[in-house]
Amino acid sequence: MQANEAQLKAWMIGGLDGDAASQAQLLRALVPVLEAFYRRRMRDRRDDIDDLVQETLIAVHTRRATFDRERAFGGWLFAIARYKMVDHFRRCGRTCPIEGLDDILVAEGFEEASSARIDIDRLLDALPAKQSQAIRATRLDGLSTHEAAARERMGESDVKVSVHRGLKALAARIRGEL
Amino acid sequence: MNTDQLIDALAREVTPVPRHAVGRRLAIGLAAGGVITLALIAWLLGFNPQLGAAIRHYSFWMKWGYTVSLGICAALATARLARPDSGRFGWLWLMAIPVLSLVAIGLFEMSRVPPAQWLAMWLGQSWSVCSSIVFLLSVPIFGGLLWSFRRLAPTRLRAAGGTAGLTAGSWGATLYCLHCPEVSAIFVLTWYTLGIGLAALAGAILGPRLLRW
Repeated sequence: MQANEAQLKAWMIGGLDGDAASQAQLLRALVPVLEAFYRRRMRDRRDDIDDLVQETLIAVHTRRATFDRERAFGGWLFAIARYKMVDHFRRCGRTCPIEGLDDILVAEGFEEASSARIDIDRLLDALPAKQSQAIRATRLDGLSTHEAAARERMGESDVKVSVHRGLKALAARIRGEL
Repeated sequence: MNTDQLIDALAREVTPVPRHAVGRRLAIGLAAGGVITLALIAWLLGFNPQLGAAIRHYSFWMKWGYTVSLGICAALATARLARPDSGRFGWLWLMAIPVLSLVAIGLFEMSRVPPAQWLAMWLGQSWSVCSSIVFLLSVPIFGGLLWSFRRLAPTRLRAAGGTAGLTAGSWGATLYCLHCPEVSAIFVLTWYTLGIGLAALAGAILGPRLLRW
């Protein structure tokens, strides 16, 4: 189970407002998220991962005042998780072999991919709804023109034209941003 | 302890957190340290006997303008670095404004007196102790900020220590103005800045050790 950003943030804010049930739900939902985060970066250290998850949960709870309600929950959470991991490596000092460097590199790539995802969402939001839906359906969700037309309740040629115009607008926008 | 028990224990005490909790906590640490610094000045150095007259002179406000603007920038940077996702710091270049303004005022003042007096302007009466006093007066404020950080979550410890030191140095210098009778801009630019810089350096060196959590 992976809870999404909006739900986690809602629980987080509930906890900040003093709602114990929200806080408990948040902490419970974070366990699998953090386990996945650490497992992707540290291979085969079940105990270490459990310790880190618990330490991170304590930090999330005791230092929750540092969460800015105006900003993303994920960014805050993973900054803490990363800090705890680096601190853990530092504490182990040189006795920790760098295992699974490939995994770490892949994992860092994953992070880049998710921030790229955020960029794409930001760019698509700037387009008219019809164009961004068409692009999302055909280029991101991998549907065919026919399937996309059915899902978005548009004509097939409408989908094609929207994708074409949308991509052109995006290209122009990106060139303008550079 | 297994994770479920841990979560139950944590979620048992959920006190509401006010919106500006980070700023408030830093402000309390800063103010508490400031009170101690102020007491040290009153006790060990004494306030400038001509303070009433000095306040009416522009040089007092030049000094305060310099140290207070540095102190505000440094405190804002510290507040950002107190959060794990601290963001960007391009705006810190704004701190060049007070420094460059002071350079301009210093050059202007120098142009108005014969070069033979420049050395006297630069060294004043207290150059040999000014920087160390500013540095020492920053220590209680730095201590106050360390207390604030105990509930905060910096992830860039060296930077956070450095800006905390800079904040402590700037506000220590601000309070030191209540004692210090010096009036020239190049004096402030050199010896105050040196003391504030030392405080920032010490903060950056100690940060990784003292701010760990």
